[in-house]
Amino acid sequence: MGQSSDTSSWRSGTRPGLLSDFQRGRALLRGLVVALVLLVTTGLLAQQSKPNEYQVKATYLYNFGRFVRWPGTVPAAKGDSFSVCVIGRDPFGSILDSTLAGESLDGKPVVLRRIAKPQEAGECRILFISSTEEKHLNEILTALDQSGVLTVSDMPGFTRRGGMIQFVLDGDRVRFEINLTSTESARLTLSSELLKVAASVKRNGRSGD
Amino acid sequence: MFLRTNNSISRKLTWMNMLVSGAALLLACASFITYDMLTFRATMVRNLSTQAQIIGSNSVSALLFNDPQSAENTLSALKVAHNILSAGIYSKDGVLFASYTRNPADRNLAIPSLLRGQVEVHWFKNKEVVLVRSIVFEGKPTGTVCIRSDVKELDSGLKRYVVIASIVLAVCLVAALLVSSIFRRAVAEPIIDLAEVARAVSREKNYAVRAPRTNGSGELAILIDAFNEMLVQIQQNERALREARDDLEQRVMERTAELEKAKREVETFSFSILRAKEELERASKFKDQFLSTMSHELRTPLNAVLGFSELLTEERYGPLNERQRRYIKHIHTGGKHLLRLINDILDLSKIEAGRLQLTIENVPVPTSFAEVVDIMRSLADKKSQTLLQEAPSGLSVRADSTRFKQVLMNLIGNAIKFTPEGGEIRLSAHRLESAVRVEVRDSGPGIPVEEQQRIFEAFYRLGERDKKTEGTGLGLAITRRLVELHGGTLGLESQPGSGSCFFFTLPVAEAVAIPEVQASRREIRTAEFPRILVIEDDRAAALLLQSHLTSAGYDVVLCDQPGRALEMAAELQPSAVTMDIIMRPVNGWELLSSFKTDPRTARIPVVLVTIIDQPATGASLGADEYIVKPVKKATLLAAVERCMSHRKHIGRTRPILVVEDDAATREFVGELLSKHGYVVTTAVNGSQARAQVAAFLPELVILDLILPEVSGFELLAEWRTNSRTADLPVFVLTSKDLTPAEQSYIHTHTALLLQKQQPWQETLVAQLRRALPGVLSEKS
Repeated sequence: MGQSSDTSSWRSGTRPGLLSDFQRGRALLRGLVVALVLLVTTGLLAQQSKPNEYQVKATYLYNFGRFVRWPGTVPAAKGDSFSVCVIGRDPFGSILDSTLAGESLDGKPVVLRRIAKPQEAGECRILFISSTEEKHLNEILTALDQSGVLTVSDMPGFTRRGGMIQFVLDGDRVRFEINLTSTESARLTLSSELLKVAASVKRNGRSGD
Repeated sequence: MFLRTNNSISRKLTWMNMLVSGAALLLACASFITYDMLTFRATMVRNLSTQAQIIGSNSVSALLFNDPQSAENTLSALKVAHNILSAGIYSKDGVLFASYTRNPADRNLAIPSLLRGQVEVHWFKNKEVVLVRSIVFEGKPTGTVCIRSDVKELDSGLKRYVVIASIVLAVCLVAALLVSSIFRRAVAEPIIDLAEVARAVSREKNYAVRAPRTNGSGELAILIDAFNEMLVQIQQNERALREARDDLEQRVMERTAELEKAKREVETFSFSILRAKEELERASKFKDQFLSTMSHELRTPLNAVLGFSELLTEERYGPLNERQRRYIKHIHTGGKHLLRLINDILDLSKIEAGRLQLTIENVPVPTSFAEVVDIMRSLADKKSQTLLQEAPSGLSVRADSTRFKQVLMNLIGNAIKFTPEGGEIRLSAHRLESAVRVEVRDSGPGIPVEEQQRIFEAFYRLGERDKKTEGTGLGLAITRRLVELHGGTLGLESQPGSGSCFFFTLPVAEAVAIPEVQASRREIRTAEFPRILVIEDDRAAALLLQSHLTSAGYDVVLCDQPGRALEMAAELQPSAVTMDIIMRPVNGWELLSSFKTDPRTARIPVVLVTIIDQPATGASLGADEYIVKPVKKATLLAAVERCMSHRKHIGRTRPILVVEDDAATREFVGELLSKHGYVVTTAVNGSQARAQVAAFLPELVILDLILPEVSGFELLAEWRTNSRTADLPVFVLTSKDLTPAEQSYIHTHTALLLQKQQPWQETLVAQLRRALPGVLSEKS
């Protein structure tokens, strides 16, 4: 934008006598149009190349489902659908809906459910616990014990308190920590691939690395 | 190329062997190498693909959970593969996610978008192979992996193969060389031997040599046998051919000899023909000479006989008694008959020999009739016969004038002869379509039918019954031939008792005016009228004088410039001059004085014709006559006549020169001229005549043509080229048979031609009178 108007002013500045008022006005107009186009396109590109945090988290939620194996005996794997549940205030908005729409995991269609009480999470494969439920975390985790539900949250200290996977931010990058003790006690098998890319893998709140 | 320059078959065989085995080996090696290379490449690609798959599946979680570090860890495992130059993992969106390069400077990574929906692609480029493979996880495209590898292994493999192939090839070629040397002994050597023999045969033409036999019965043995058999055949053929050639040469020689002989015979024959031709020509020439001599030698003495006998009958040299007169008359009649006979025989022989040449011209019929009748009238008168002639004026025929008259005279002569006394002979002519029919009709006894055909034969004489008729018996035969030579026919119509009519046709001449002019002009020339120079500057007066003088037969030349008059007179030498007095710029008196003082003109008579009446002055200045105008014709002519006679009188001392080698004829002519009052001098040959004319100019020359030493023709030619003698009047008197060319020459250069074959004495005298009027007037 700046360069374009520079060019325009240089041309009119060095040859003032040669350009009529009409010509000067037209050059100005052209500069404005170019500036506008640049503004819009750069803005769009910035949005596209830099997805927001919850979009990445939503995708990760889905991808966790692809690297975790549930034993057939756990209640969470008994349903006809692969339920992804959100408890507490939903930070994703509609992003999670659109991410999971039409997908299937473990040979079953993925269904998104928003629940209010831990008792409702019996048939969920993956449960995202909103940070609004921090006060009720122990209660929720206790309720889900032995149910085979993969618990995910972005609240600080989640894995230390017995949660399975916790989103952490490494700068702009969204990464995650795994509490292997929690997953093993729930009889869930996590792929080594998943462990390979985790920011850290802990046993009972201490880092496994 | 080497194959072509070396023709030896063994070399060819060796090379063929080498080439075939070499080519086969090369092809085989190339096939094996190609196959191996392709296999090697496929293996290489498969290995790369496997590596890409492993990398891809190990990078799925890294891609899904955005962990490039993990992916790079995976890629770093490629370090163990030395051929991998670089590798890269790209996200689903095509963004480079993780990369590996063997050489840190090398960043040349491929672009995964080249996949275009395929799972895996690879390509070889710049000694590298690039493989791109998409990473699929649980049926979903998750990213792309690219691996770039060098092909050093491929190259080194290829090199190894080429080395091995070269060694194999060399070994094989050596083996082929050994094998072919064995072949050469079996195949090439017999062929070489055969070729050697063939070359010897073609070079030395020695068909006796034979190619050596080989063992076995293969194609080669057959070929050698056939070649030897062929040599045997050729040897035989060559022998036969040589024999045939020798025979042919012999025959050609024989034929040539025969031809030579025939040619010599032909040459001899043609030579004899040539000699015969020459002899014939010589004989013909002798015959011509004989005829010419005959005509001259026979006629000359006869002329003397006739002339002197006639002179004797005139009794000028004393009176004759009756018996003498009768005898002389017999001599004369006999001589005349003999002359006619000779003339006729010569004419006939000339016609028969085809040597009679006609001078065809336009001849006016009435003129010829008049001349002939004039001649024949005396003969008719003797028998009291009436001789009539009628011809339309202006009618002309194409004929030789002399021969035409001869024909007429013959027919009229016959008619006179056979017609009784007091009879009538009628000569007539009328025009047919393109001819003129001339008739001679008589009132004689007629000719019997049985004689009418025979009458034209030579020597046939109608007068057998009547012994008194004279004649040669040749006249009608000659007449008929003459008419036929003119392209006409001679015929006869006769009834015994009612006369005969001889008739003939001649081609008509269409142009009428020209021959008359020619005739009149020649008349003037031959007549040699005296020339008068009229000096008069007044045109009308001059024309009047010319009119008067021309009507009297004078040749008039007008001069209207007095200043030139003297020169003209000196040049023309006129017989007389008429002169006016009043003229400018020179008047008559002055002119007269100069005329009389100039030796060239002093002797020319001068007639003064003037209005000034001073005759005394004129006489004192030398004028011969003086006439005062107006001029009367009679006075003028009388005065001119007087001048002429006066002049002749003065010039009478100038004689007539008779040139004649025959003494009798010379004497006769001299007598004849003396009888008529002319002074005569004679010359016996050409050189004498030449000397006499050179000494003094005679009045006239009577010239024979055939003379010893210098002929008449030569004299004539000399005189006519000399200005002094150019106008000398010459009469030719000859017995020579003249050709048309000679006749025309004489007509051009002389005043008169007399031929002794015809009666000529009277013509000579008459023409002398006309040519020399002065002498005549003196005598009369």
